[in-house]
Amino acid sequence: MALLEEKDRQYLIKEFEALRNPVKIVVFTQKFECQFCRETRQIAEEVAGLSDKISLEVYDFEDDKVVAEQYGIEQIPATIILLGGEQPKDYGIRYFGMPSGYEFTSLIFDIKMIGTGESGLSAATKQWAANLKTPVHMQVFVTPTCPYCPQAVVLAHRLAMESDFIRADMVEATEFPHLAMKYDVMGVPRTVINEDTHIEGAVPESTLLAKLKQAVAAEAMLPRA
Amino acid sequence: MSFDLQFGLPDLNPEPNTYDVIIIGGGPAGTSAAIYTARADLRTLVIDKGLTAGALGITGKISNYPGIPGPISGAELVRTMRQQAESFGATFLADKVIGVDLHSTPKMVMAGTNTFYGKVVILATGSMGRTNTIPGESELLGRGVSYCATCDGAFFRNKTVAVIGNNDEALEEALFLTRFADKVYLIAPTPSLKASESLASEVAGHPRIEIRLATSLREIVGNGQVEGLRIRPRGGDESFLPVSGVFVYLQGGQPIVDYLMGQLQTSPEGCLLVDHERQTSIPGVFAVGDLLCSHVKQAVIAASDGVIAAIAAEKHIRERKALVVDWN
Repeated sequence: MALLEEKDRQYLIKEFEALRNPVKIVVFTQKFECQFCRETRQIAEEVAGLSDKISLEVYDFEDDKVVAEQYGIEQIPATIILLGGEQPKDYGIRYFGMPSGYEFTSLIFDIKMIGTGESGLSAATKQWAANLKTPVHMQVFVTPTCPYCPQAVVLAHRLAMESDFIRADMVEATEFPHLAMKYDVMGVPRTVINEDTHIEGAVPESTLLAKLKQAVAAEAMLPRA
Repeated sequence: MSFDLQFGLPDLNPEPNTYDVIIIGGGPAGTSAAIYTARADLRTLVIDKGLTAGALGITGKISNYPGIPGPISGAELVRTMRQQAESFGATFLADKVIGVDLHSTPKMVMAGTNTFYGKVVILATGSMGRTNTIPGESELLGRGVSYCATCDGAFFRNKTVAVIGNNDEALEEALFLTRFADKVYLIAPTPSLKASESLASEVAGHPRIEIRLATSLREIVGNGQVEGLRIRPRGGDESFLPVSGVFVYLQGGQPIVDYLMGQLQTSPEGCLLVDHERQTSIPGVFAVGDLLCSHVKQAVIAASDGVIAAIAAEKHIRERKALVVDWN
């Protein structure tokens, strides 16, 4: 049974006409699919089928271990949105867990963002990202029924698009309770930055930027091993 | 394991979600604005959290609203205004606005259920925002203290939680939490609930909800995460209520501007600044009613603000040089 309703399919077909760049969706699932893996794959299949500009690759986490390692995937279901075509580019945009409920809008946003090549961030933020020389890893914890969460996910993904040093994951907290516990997540959205810094809520771009600068500066002051 | 996840798209097609005027807040200011914009044939949407979310909605009896010999309840007065606005074609949506983008064209208003687009936005969210926090609240935010049951309810599966509040919003969130929690305490600071009858009776009859009226929350207690609440019923002794989570929906006297995410400057008191046409520093964005911290906080003052903004909004949309007044 299709997950997308016909009216939504028609709407997305029209929306995707604006895509200029090829977009690739990569999904990691496994042979004995759990409910979330199966539906994640199904979401990706249905969305990819709505535009010639969107291609899909599905891998088995176990059998395609080499590919999983290449993309740095350690848990599933995992969805990656990249620039496709002759010269693919991985911006470090990831979804761990099913991008369902409100997070489906984040998925569509990312496809349109990569497909049009514009992150929509302010000039100041783009400048900071362009000058960044140290790795930044953001993990945005969400639940599917959280209406504020897509704002946090999309902001993190926008930043990932602007710098090769930035990676950003959506992590669906109810599917990964061990991660939620590891990072003390009891309220969403919570964005974990480089393991030990975090920010709660769907904060505006300027607030997140200030926090990122703080996190990067703090790292720079740590004694090197 | 059932998450009851509704995989639907929250209606991404902007066409039906595009309006000439989007009004945030459906009290006397917002509703009066809607009467005028709808009559001016402007496609009008009013997004309102609930009848009892605002100052007029929770007022028991009014006798001094010009033209309405009372006594009439505040909720009934607001309802009458709404019906009038709807009769001219305004659409009312019961929802909460969680974010806006006032700099985009068209302006974006993100509600819980959907995103809407408008040429003009009129802010009419009033001043029932909280001023003080309860001891333990900010320390334990995100550690069991939450303001969003739909966001965080999933973390309290099979646990006991509390909802603090007495209005439509608090009761709806309490009902939502019963999908996850084993038990929900609804702790209301007032002797009775200030919510619609149907909602109040649904909550009262729910097997997993226990209501504690006239009870104040003294402190949220916990070491690193919420362990319980110190509560005191009026005229009674303080006691400790063990809970894993607490969802706070209290009200105060501050202008409600959190959803603006800093896009508009406020005065040191937190009020929005406007010109004589009620327009803010962003063209096409107006603010009315108690958000302006008017010298006199009365429903009729709020209503007049709404009308001034509505007429100015019409001028803005139709690119007139002068205001056009609707004489009847």
